[in-house]
Amino acid sequence: MVKAIFEDIRKKLNNIDVKEIAYAERGYHLAIEANLTDIVAIVEFFNSKGFYLADLCCVDYVEYLELVYFFNNHQKLCRVKTTLKLTPEKPVAPTISHIYTMAHWYEREIHEFFGVYFDGHPNLTYFFLHDGIDHYPLRKQQIPVPPEDKKLLNSFKPEEEEDYFSINLGPQHPSTHGVLRVVLRMDGEYVLSAEPVMGYLHRMHEKMAENRPYLQFLPNPARMDYPAALLFNLAHVTTIEKLCSIEVPPRAQYIRTITCELNRIASHLLYLGSFPADLGGLTPFLYAFDDREQILDILERITGSRLTYCYFRFGGLYNDIDDTFIDGTKQFIKRMRERLGMYEKLITKNVIFINRVTGTGILKQSEIPLYGCSGPVIRGSGIPFDMRKVEPYAAYADIDFEIPTGHTGDNMDRYMVRMREMEISLGIIEEAVKKLPSGPYNAEKVPKKLKPPKGDIYHVVESTRGETGVYVVSDESDIPYRMRWRVPSFSNLMTFPALAKGTLLADAIATLGNYDIVVPEIDR
Amino acid sequence: MGKGGFHLETQDPIIRLAIADKFLNLARANSLWPMTFGLACCALEMMAASMARFDIARFGAEVFRPSPRQADLMIVAGTVTKKMAPTLITLYEQMPSPKWVLAFGSCAISGGPFVFEGQYNILEGVDKIVPVDVYIPGCPPRPEGLLEGLMKLEEKITGTRRFPTPEQKW
Repeated sequence: MVKAIFEDIRKKLNNIDVKEIAYAERGYHLAIEANLTDIVAIVEFFNSKGFYLADLCCVDYVEYLELVYFFNNHQKLCRVKTTLKLTPEKPVAPTISHIYTMAHWYEREIHEFFGVYFDGHPNLTYFFLHDGIDHYPLRKQQIPVPPEDKKLLNSFKPEEEEDYFSINLGPQHPSTHGVLRVVLRMDGEYVLSAEPVMGYLHRMHEKMAENRPYLQFLPNPARMDYPAALLFNLAHVTTIEKLCSIEVPPRAQYIRTITCELNRIASHLLYLGSFPADLGGLTPFLYAFDDREQILDILERITGSRLTYCYFRFGGLYNDIDDTFIDGTKQFIKRMRERLGMYEKLITKNVIFINRVTGTGILKQSEIPLYGCSGPVIRGSGIPFDMRKVEPYAAYADIDFEIPTGHTGDNMDRYMVRMREMEISLGIIEEAVKKLPSGPYNAEKVPKKLKPPKGDIYHVVESTRGETGVYVVSDESDIPYRMRWRVPSFSNLMTFPALAKGTLLADAIATLGNYDIVVPEIDR
Repeated sequence: MGKGGFHLETQDPIIRLAIADKFLNLARANSLWPMTFGLACCALEMMAASMARFDIARFGAEVFRPSPRQADLMIVAGTVTKKMAPTLITLYEQMPSPKWVLAFGSCAISGGPFVFEGQYNILEGVDKIVPVDVYIPGCPPRPEGLLEGLMKLEEKITGTRRFPTPEQKW
């Protein structure tokens, strides 16, 4: 695949600087250095080949700004990094939002945080930061925002047209799962347009990473995605391990797999409670939290916290597991298998539930590459793409498991995928516990002060909501030069305006609840 | 000046009804209606507190209201960003008096782990914009912490504690 694409690029686009990269070291296969004139042609080429835009971010190197585009393919792993250099004074780049819909939001984000202008972008307004911001936060030097540029979206502006009205869904609303705000234009009960406004929980994680050592950033990822804290913790830890070439002992890898899958079930249980609650059924919430507490008990014994775990360390774990943990896990698996049967009777076979979710919020398979969404959202549409299988990390390579998929891509399919995933996670835990090797749980000689070699790395972990990527640029100091988080909910949410359009408000809420978004993860 | 019979700034009643006030306060303390208002990670622990294991209903505070107009307790569970602050003030002002605020977690108390030199987006403590009655530390606090905070608030309202403080044995 990589070779074929490499040859294709050479053939189709002349004078392009394309290099093959050592994948094991950098996390991507090909690197292309584009310039302002040919970037659109390159992006169009990848679009025609069925690639999706995995990430678009910016790095400030002071002498120049660099836009980094990551493309990947759902059929066969082939990650391509495309870079575009821009001048730091009044940087302008051509937009790619007409090719990839997802680029709309990525470009707006970069405009807000770096002051890059995108030529031809239809709506280059702010949607993360507050009214009072006066500089570009992620630039290395303090650069003021020009006053005419602050076309902010914070205040609620009712439309003047007759027959239509606007309503604000959020930021304080029980079905937005936190502080997401969606501005809806309504025609009676029907949604004409939905525009999410983010940033009500922007907690500056990427900025924080740039002013503290790698070790001190450890507690932060857990606060990005709190229902699945361990998975984000793992994403951070594995990226830095790969960058510093630290070997992790097999016992630690297995324990990571077990704890992560337990956390994945806990997160899906939260979804199982909150999704029917969004539809009006509050009963499952009580059952799901009961099971969730069992997992929290097991994890609390070894990690020391109930919610925002910080259990993994560079090269291993904070401490080893014991027999009580293993017994507890085995008991939980037995209990959970019985409970899953009960959930099926309680929710999956409920007539009201079936009628509410079947045929609503259909995400077509053909639209997915435009948005670059991931996780259960695309698996519900029938794409068997799971980073645990595609790019195995921890002990997933040794464990056999299947990837559940749906057919039509409606809310029911996405719900069923998550239900199956819980069952599969139980299987993974069972197998990992059986195969658990003995030995040390920490790598030897990991320095307290990590100083990774110069270079960048992109590493991906399958979190509960999908593809979680970390892009780290190191400048040989003990503080990351730039740490970019590619979060799944952000690109999943981008499909919401398209799915909500023309539906009843209640169905739009069902779709939003079904996406299982976590707002601190979107806002970072 | 007052609104709904309560002084706007001090939240004290304008007319004091002596013994009837005591009775009213007892009723208020035992049926606090919190607002469904989750901001961040701490909201999950707030939800856990209202579920079967911790069962906030034992203290009469299980009626989570999505509308501020029906609530009298605001649990600020999470980080307050500068973008969220105006909304939070609106919500607080929409609540009818008498009303109370619990700052739940480090972020609501002082900004928590997100305070650093040059931070540009968070409010370092919710008490900068609304009056806070009880502070519950932790990142996030355990649900037991919320229950203890509720009891502290009841103590503040009625003047007496519902249960004796458990003896510390360590």
